[in-house]
Amino acid sequence: MVDRPSLVAGLLGLAGSLILLAASRGLPRSPLVPIGPEFYPRLVFGATAVLSALLVVQSLRARPAAPGRPAEYRRVVGTFLAFALYVGVMPALGYRLATLLFVLGLQVLLEPPRHGRQWARVAAVAVATTAATYLIFERYLSVLLPRGRLTGF
Amino acid sequence: MLGPLAGSLAEILQPQYLGPLALGTLAGLIGGALPGVTITMTIIIVLPFTFGLDPLQGLAAMIGVYVGGESGGLVTASLLGIPGTPSAVATTFDGFPMARRGEPGRAVWLGTWASLFGGVLGAVFLIAATGPLARFALQFGPWEYFSLFIFALSMVAGVTGRSLVKGFLSGAVGLVITVIGQDPIMSVPRFTFGSDLLRAGFQFLPVLIGVFAFAQIMSDLERPGRDAARERLTTPSLRVSHLAVIWDIVRRPFLLAWSTVIGLLIGVLPAIGGSAANVMAWDQARKFSRHPEKFGTGIPEGIIASEAANNANVAGSLVTIMAFGIPGDAVTAVMLGAMIIHGIQPGPLFMTTEPRVAYGIFAAYLLAHPVMLVLQWLLARVYLRVVQVPRAVLVPVVLVLCVIGAYALNNTMDNVYALLLFGLLGYGLVKAGLPLAPLILGVILGDQIEINLVRSLMTDADPRLFFTRPISGAMLALSALSVALGLWQHRRQARRAAGAEEPGGDF
Repeated sequence: MVDRPSLVAGLLGLAGSLILLAASRGLPRSPLVPIGPEFYPRLVFGATAVLSALLVVQSLRARPAAPGRPAEYRRVVGTFLAFALYVGVMPALGYRLATLLFVLGLQVLLEPPRHGRQWARVAAVAVATTAATYLIFERYLSVLLPRGRLTGF
Repeated sequence: MLGPLAGSLAEILQPQYLGPLALGTLAGLIGGALPGVTITMTIIIVLPFTFGLDPLQGLAAMIGVYVGGESGGLVTASLLGIPGTPSAVATTFDGFPMARRGEPGRAVWLGTWASLFGGVLGAVFLIAATGPLARFALQFGPWEYFSLFIFALSMVAGVTGRSLVKGFLSGAVGLVITVIGQDPIMSVPRFTFGSDLLRAGFQFLPVLIGVFAFAQIMSDLERPGRDAARERLTTPSLRVSHLAVIWDIVRRPFLLAWSTVIGLLIGVLPAIGGSAANVMAWDQARKFSRHPEKFGTGIPEGIIASEAANNANVAGSLVTIMAFGIPGDAVTAVMLGAMIIHGIQPGPLFMTTEPRVAYGIFAAYLLAHPVMLVLQWLLARVYLRVVQVPRAVLVPVVLVLCVIGAYALNNTMDNVYALLLFGLLGYGLVKAGLPLAPLILGVILGDQIEINLVRSLMTDADPRLFFTRPISGAMLALSALSVALGLWQHRRQARRAAGAEEPGGDF
């Protein structure tokens, strides 16, 4: 019986720490300083490697947890993608346009509107969020938000 | 001590400070009342709003969020049986039955007044203990700091989560994250793989926001949503004789005192927060009661214990951050970030170098409680309306505010990309069953751990000094003890059936 998520985490941790340990060979050592910049990282990577190995062992011996409600990943993946798009597009389109599209799009993704009134609410929330955050942060709090490269807006 | 305090109280009462304090408390009350929005999330959302304010204004707002948040949860806990925050779980045990019995006002106001009393008593401890603790910490050399941080990490890794290995691994990953970037002593770029983004290293606020906010939101999105149309909630009348409620609390002084102490102790310990304090206080109250079988049926003791403890917990967390510079939980971690952004250096010297800010924090914490009371009185009926906001609206808005928070840190998109990266990491950790608290503590403390370790070894290469120096040795012993305690607890838990663990709770 295997606890798969932990196993994956352990293996990733092991791989990552070993790669980083290898990378630490290249760090320059200064003769002036008895302890070089690779000392502490090696300790940390070593500890991570050991703990990851322990986790792998533990997960191979584990009893699987009682299955709970099945998780629905569609919304999770959708939200991550929407967010990645939002963040990727912001330098090009600017904060205001990107935020408007994001809030609009994500609401529709999470709870597809079924009739006119719901669409109106979705649009209103998107506009209100963009306008309110822009005004409060830029005008009132002097926090400058990004302008778009392509739109200049 | 009372002189500067009185001065700070007068200062905070001015509108430019009272305003942010009140707004923060309001945000905290609402965020606390909303199930699925934790106090950590609320303070993350409030953080960007504080950037344009002066440090004391920003801190006043955040303290307001903290105090309001610990109290807001009790409304939905009592009226709906759903705790608004993990700090109000135990309040549902007696608050909800009491409300259902026809005494909703009494339940809500017992909780609110108990929050006030617990918080104010906690303030006494906060004001009295921080100075001496800070002075004690001034004796620390790099060995003591290193051991203190190791103790904090082992405490967190040992006590949270289901597996000791996972806890420590999470902390180690946090340390790995801080290793990337420039070495704190010689500024040698490390593990940057030629990337400019990695060269500067990761700031802990985007990591914290990404990890906590995304973990919480995504875990919530995994579950099917509530059908809002079916729930039409009307608020019952909450009228109650306040004097009777206050008498209910005041005539049980030992209950109040002991719950406050529990809250304070848990607050002082790093990374354990209100979610543990309220349950433990309720449990303790039941153990000491002459009629333990009545707990859970709707008795005032249950509500008083839970709510006094979770507010006192705030005071305890503030002590830790003000005296040692170590966050007592995720909320104070965000406050720590805000302080650093404003150029304030937390640590044992904080009290002496920034007395105005320090006493301002004390005053803000004290004043947040009556403010909370007034707002609660005005708002209690509005909450249930707010709770019905659909998550399709809440999620995008919260994410936008997180982006602003990350972007505003230094006006580059780098921190926003970091947000996404650590959001993925945080969610991945939750799926793997790794606790988040050790990771965050690792990220916060990582550089300091390295600096102190290297400094102590460069001063004197003898590693035995970590054990022979009394304070350092004591803390390492406590670390070992907490690991042992964690092992014992997990062995005990492993014998019982494994229950589902809520991810992303308030630490």
